[in-house]
Amino acid sequence: MQTAKKVKKEQSTYKKFDSIDGSHPFKDSVPKGFVDYPARLRKGGKLAYFNFDLAREMGLMPKSHPDKLNKELESKILETFGIVIINEYDKMNSKSFPQKEIKEGTYMATRYLQMQHEDKTGRTSGDGRSVWMGHVKHRGKSWDISSCGTGATCLSPATSKYNKFFETGDPSISYGCGYAELDEGMATALFSDIFHENHVPTEQTLAVIQYEKNFSINVRVHECLLRPSHFFGYLKQGDYKSLNQITEYYIHSKYPELAKKKKKNIYELILQDICHDFAKVAALFEDEYIFCWLDWDGDNILMDGSIIDYGSIRQFGLYHSEYRYDDVERFSTSLAEQKDKAKYIVQTFCQLFDYLEKKEKTPINEFKNHKVLKDFDQHFEDYKDQNLLHKIGLNSEAKEMIFTKHRKLITEFRKDFSYFEKTKSKKGIIKVNDGITWDAIFCMRDMLRELPQIYLSRNENISDQEFIEILRSNYAKEEDLYLNSYRHEKIKSFQNHYWKIIKKVSKETNKNTSQVLLEVTMRSSVINKAERVTGDAITLITDMLLKKKEKLGVDGIYRAIKKITQFQAFDPKMKTLPKKKFFQTDLMKNVFEIVKDYREGL
Amino acid sequence: MKLVFYGGGDEEDNYQLDTLLIKNLCNKRKIKMTFIPSSSYMSHLDFREFVFQYQAHNVERFIHFPIDVHFTEVLKKEAFSADIIHLSGGNTYYFLQSLKKAKLFKDLKAFIKRGGILTGLSAGAIIMTPEINTAGFPPFDCDENEDNITNLSSLNLVDFEFFPHYKNSKRYDEHLLAYSLQTKRKIYASPDGNGVIIDNNDTTFCGRNYIFYQGKKIVVK
Repeated sequence: MQTAKKVKKEQSTYKKFDSIDGSHPFKDSVPKGFVDYPARLRKGGKLAYFNFDLAREMGLMPKSHPDKLNKELESKILETFGIVIINEYDKMNSKSFPQKEIKEGTYMATRYLQMQHEDKTGRTSGDGRSVWMGHVKHRGKSWDISSCGTGATCLSPATSKYNKFFETGDPSISYGCGYAELDEGMATALFSDIFHENHVPTEQTLAVIQYEKNFSINVRVHECLLRPSHFFGYLKQGDYKSLNQITEYYIHSKYPELAKKKKKNIYELILQDICHDFAKVAALFEDEYIFCWLDWDGDNILMDGSIIDYGSIRQFGLYHSEYRYDDVERFSTSLAEQKDKAKYIVQTFCQLFDYLEKKEKTPINEFKNHKVLKDFDQHFEDYKDQNLLHKIGLNSEAKEMIFTKHRKLITEFRKDFSYFEKTKSKKGIIKVNDGITWDAIFCMRDMLRELPQIYLSRNENISDQEFIEILRSNYAKEEDLYLNSYRHEKIKSFQNHYWKIIKKVSKETNKNTSQVLLEVTMRSSVINKAERVTGDAITLITDMLLKKKEKLGVDGIYRAIKKITQFQAFDPKMKTLPKKKFFQTDLMKNVFEIVKDYREGL
Repeated sequence: MKLVFYGGGDEEDNYQLDTLLIKNLCNKRKIKMTFIPSSSYMSHLDFREFVFQYQAHNVERFIHFPIDVHFTEVLKKEAFSADIIHLSGGNTYYFLQSLKKAKLFKDLKAFIKRGGILTGLSAGAIIMTPEINTAGFPPFDCDENEDNITNLSSLNLVDFEFFPHYKNSKRYDEHLLAYSLQTKRKIYASPDGNGVIIDNNDTTFCGRNYIFYQGKKIVVK
């Protein structure tokens, strides 16, 4: 039996959870920005995943707290996040709930623009099955917290389409029923943890609570959960007052120092930031083959370019730039189109800030030559070159040196690199499970991993046949690999530019080429590791984790996700693992096999 | 035939054995070494340590050749053009299975035949013997045969078996003596940092090693 002292101590250990009660500064700042819902405790919940590391970082538990769940902690998580809203349907049908189950606070579903709503101006759209749980500050950092799967709100596409309110859990309307599913929650937890580890900006999962029929509540966290679409709705509607309110809220929360000084050019500064962030992620997504459905509505992405909503997020093994997700009523954008969509989001912000300044809306086309869009292109090109320098395996000093002093070398090399990266199968567009694609056939990671080793060994170029042999993926058929004169020239050019970069680094850093190639070999073997997860691999690994969930328990699932994340970390400076064992567990062996088998896919 | 059996250990433990390998057995300028990890899982970390270990002996050219993942014929050809191929430590069963799946036994034998030096540490050393039975005991320090591999026949480059990470203690001896009565071959047991060098017909022991044979234990200095 626990002593009263111990219980009291544990209760105070988790006291910060009590501040997560639906209150949020956004409510006072943007009164028209949300629909507020009372809520009640949802029974039958069981914790499926908890991110101990993130909870410690957020100050929800002490730094010294072990990665171990206890009864008090589980109860705290369930009573804080395990809720269901009392929605319009409940009220219209006079549903009553025991008073003791009713939460004290109210929880907001925020309004934002979503192109799948017929309205197209954001009057009916927003958080369709999520509510914001609160806002937490700790050691100079703050986090917004929202929960997905907490009930059907009036902002779901179903309500808008059928013009009626839905009961939470209504089986007749899957997407509008307000519930989330366990597999999507676990996949998000895993995928976002891998991305976070690799410095891809993303939402993170704090907890996943499982309910019957494999429904779940998925608790997501980010420093600021506002999306561009939160702003764009008011812009489309011409609601100056609300747009001004949400912008002021954003400025005060993200740029408190600038807000205090009441800087005159504050919009310009923010626009520059947005431009920079979106150019950076657009280049990163393209180079890491991250498929994120960006579109004109500014949904599926946060204000700093972080990923939100993993429903359609994928990471491809190759540059499958023609893959499109089939969303029944429309096809998604493709990997290759993401840059222009990101740029259009920035262009919309140009229009938005102009509107805020002039109080009069100018058509968006008038901003297509805005200076900031030229900056966007420049930032994008800069990041593309820097990303490639990183992928080659150069260290920070060498990257900086080539980028600043010999930019043309990397820009020229990128042309050769892109030619091979973009080469597609002669088969053309084909149907896949959830959309359409046109297979890329060359694996650039294999080339960047193997080439420095072979150069180090031979100190000379490889033959055309060898070049193609290294590059070819399982998607390539013989007819795709024909060596015409143009391809021959490209192979030659690729190798010449690669050597020039290595030799330039050698000369400027006073190392011989062997030393440079050896260093590149070691870094590149991590950065371009053969086994990198794809979207398909994540789905299969998630299924496997769910099958082992009961056996592993919450602590075990957390450890498993951390191990997978560690396996998928591509930091060449990573330290040697203490007491590294063979695969560490059976589970890791299976993960390894899945990642290997699906490494070139979607 | 030039082979080196490492009992285990790290760069510091194996400095003497490495010196004998590089200076005496190889004795060549611009040595090229290929590192074959027992599993590619996190092997880049082991490769990095391997590079640091042999850079200390002035080796500059290295190839990382994981064999349980996709590899090209080009890299394979390059890997086998090295002066020294090193089979790393790890899970012996998995390593054996991967080498067989990748059909590399023939290539490794041809490599040795044309004068290449094959070295192995722990699991990698066991792989060089006729069978990998020694990976399966003692129960308190053995590899897990997760895939239940039954065919334990291996490279068969020598006529003895090898037991790495040997500790001169009763509990190890008990198992080794018992096993020595079951097998017709001698069992060479090497502690970490010690090992055996085969240079055609010459066998050199580095550090204190042990031979278990027909129920007896012999100390080799």
